[in-house]
Amino acid sequence: MALLQIAEPGQSPLPHQVKRAIGIDLGTTNSLVATVRGGRAAVLPDEQGEVMLPSVVHYRRDSVPLVGTAARDLGAQFPADTLMSIKRFMGRGAVDASDDAKRSHYRIAEGEQGLVRFVTSGGDFSPVEVSADILRTLRQRAVATLGGEIDGAVITVPAYFDEAQRQATKDAATLAGLRVLRLLNEPTAAAVAYGLDAAEQGVIAVYDLGGGTFDISILRLQRGVFEVLATGGDTALGGDDLDAALADWVLEQSSAPALTAGQYRQLQSAARAAKEQLSVLEEVDIDLSGVLPGGGTLKVTRERFESLILPLVKRTLRACRKCLRDAELEGGVDNIVMVGGSTRVPLVREAVSDFFKRTPLIDIDPDQVVALGAAIQADILAGNRPEGDLLLLDVIPLSLGIETMGGLVEKIVPRNTTIPVSRAQEFTTFKDGQTALAVHILQGEREMVSDCRSLAHFELRGIPPMVAGAARIRVTFQIDADGLLNVSAREEITGAQSSVTVKPSFGLSDAEITSMLQASFSHAPEDKLARQLAEQRLAAWQLLEGLKAALAADGDTLLDKQEREAITAQMSELQRLVDGQDTQAIRMQTDRLGRLSEAFATRRMDKSIRQALAGVSLDALDNEVSQ
Amino acid sequence: MPLPEFQRNYFQLFDLPESFELDQGQLGARYRQLQKELHPDRYAGASAHEQRLAVQYSALINEAYATLRKPLSRALYLMELAGMSGERVAGEQLDGGFLIAQMELREKLESMEDLVDPASALDHLTTEIRADVAELQTHFSEAYAAQRMSVAASACVKMQYLDKLLHEAEQIESRLLDR
Repeated sequence: MALLQIAEPGQSPLPHQVKRAIGIDLGTTNSLVATVRGGRAAVLPDEQGEVMLPSVVHYRRDSVPLVGTAARDLGAQFPADTLMSIKRFMGRGAVDASDDAKRSHYRIAEGEQGLVRFVTSGGDFSPVEVSADILRTLRQRAVATLGGEIDGAVITVPAYFDEAQRQATKDAATLAGLRVLRLLNEPTAAAVAYGLDAAEQGVIAVYDLGGGTFDISILRLQRGVFEVLATGGDTALGGDDLDAALADWVLEQSSAPALTAGQYRQLQSAARAAKEQLSVLEEVDIDLSGVLPGGGTLKVTRERFESLILPLVKRTLRACRKCLRDAELEGGVDNIVMVGGSTRVPLVREAVSDFFKRTPLIDIDPDQVVALGAAIQADILAGNRPEGDLLLLDVIPLSLGIETMGGLVEKIVPRNTTIPVSRAQEFTTFKDGQTALAVHILQGEREMVSDCRSLAHFELRGIPPMVAGAARIRVTFQIDADGLLNVSAREEITGAQSSVTVKPSFGLSDAEITSMLQASFSHAPEDKLARQLAEQRLAAWQLLEGLKAALAADGDTLLDKQEREAITAQMSELQRLVDGQDTQAIRMQTDRLGRLSEAFATRRMDKSIRQALAGVSLDALDNEVSQ
Repeated sequence: MPLPEFQRNYFQLFDLPESFELDQGQLGARYRQLQKELHPDRYAGASAHEQRLAVQYSALINEAYATLRKPLSRALYLMELAGMSGERVAGEQLDGGFLIAQMELREKLESMEDLVDPASALDHLTTEIRADVAELQTHFSEAYAAQRMSVAASACVKMQYLDKLLHEAEQIESRLLDR
């Protein structure tokens, strides 16, 4: 994401300066921002001292969007202009999302490529744009508190988010002017927040019942490495559904005619308030005046509420059981971390406690724990912490594969595979003289194409005509540490190649993001040029600083005299250019030096491998093995 | 993008002896140690080229770990190192007795969901299959150590059959849970 480097022209980044790094929990109901200051993670409040920003945006004509509490207060009055629970729509198509939209009383339109857009009196907006408005508010809060632009952010996503939903989240952050250090799974973030205080070893289950999604993850912490063993959940189950179960019951009791959108919103908030009170009280009276035509009050006991939500809670436990099996644990779970406001519901706590036979950890506020963990990870990735602190090894939540004959999906990377990962599979042609092969990439656990999520199509052309089955086509899936996918195909005999970075059709293209950014920043042309120069300088500085350190450490042992001289000569040339104004020349020289130093970098990695293993003393190994 | 050229195989990468018997504790410890050095998170501030390299190395280490950790993939990998490709292993002749036993197990599995107490029947069956798998692993280990590659290959194929059955049993279990 070179577009958003923050360094000003002429200002080179200092190598060891503390970076302003933030963690953002972009939630269905509420969003938070946190940072690490003085070694401690803390959430950042707004000017009124509130840490939770309601994930609600209100759009109206001739006005800037309102975000947060002010927007939420307008929800009942202007339901179609006040967008809430937008996270449920991220990365989804209009057709796919129409049921949810109807329930929320939104007007939706189908945008390009089936993209869902909400129609408000302030204009049409995609879920990505709405999320960007929320993220922008949090970014501004962080800038004001930390006293300067943010160097990088970790944004959390439900572990069960698919490729399209992840990409949409990343697009929203980019649009909000944030440099994304990493997309981090919410349960993993929560485990990180606990992991730093908790015991150094052990298996942790994270039960995360948020506003709109349910995640369960099982992780093992061992010697500073957090390994996600398995993850599962339900993208369409959360606190909102608990509210809806109660709201629907209220409607049944009242035999009221169809509600208006505004009335339904009010009923939902009344149900939510009742749910929250029932965590402490045995019974509450729901005030229905202004909510239902008849008005009055309705008594709800905790028992009644629990019987209404029991099927939903059981659904979460089924996911837990599957996840436990996937984790292939030998012993049990040592700790359970509870995340999300809905885990305050006593029935949820009891059910989870019974299921895992452990008392859940609730020391850290379940609403804040994800943001705090994200802040810690942001701090690590920004380089603010000493090395060897904590490493996260995450997994992909859903299997990835391609379509084969007969509408079947051949899985190439199964779910719960640790990322990053690169995996290849060979295919062949099925017709004589076939010269092209369509590659259809899918995500999901089912066997039929029609039951899986379609991510992208591309075509490999230029296969020489051969008899069926003679061509050897190697399809490689590469997934980076954010869980984002790149697929390439190559015919082995001729070397014909084709590849695609999977931008699901529901995300935004790079060009769209660029133009939207330009519109929102409305930079003068000279600003844009200055920005490009600044970015290029930053890349050059990074390379130079890295190489200087690398040469000091390994220049004598890993390079011969000639190689070393060649590298230092090109470094001096880049050093000379970097203070000038010629963006293009800096770019070319950075590329040249990068290519020249490739072999050196590879040798250094190989050396790291040897050293890493030499560093594991036999004692330490024996220790660990005996545990 | 080509993978980094390691001169070493997966066992050498983790500095472990090339055999079917494997110390899982050592494998895990060395895996974590390598990731601590080479994971892309450790290169978040590095040049784009180094970040790319880190992704490739980290992916390779993950792949090596996943291959060696599970007995079946480890056995197949050992066969591959010995020059027996997956296709050749798959072409190994199986005895009729094994195939008949397979068919019986499969029939039992398929009729499972009609039983009165499918969950415990399923549990019983998977325990039985796992015991067979353990026995096959011993067969493989002995045959491989004695370099009787054809016997080792047929043990691999049988393990693959049983692995598939266990996978189907899991899917039935999921369906039972969702009822």
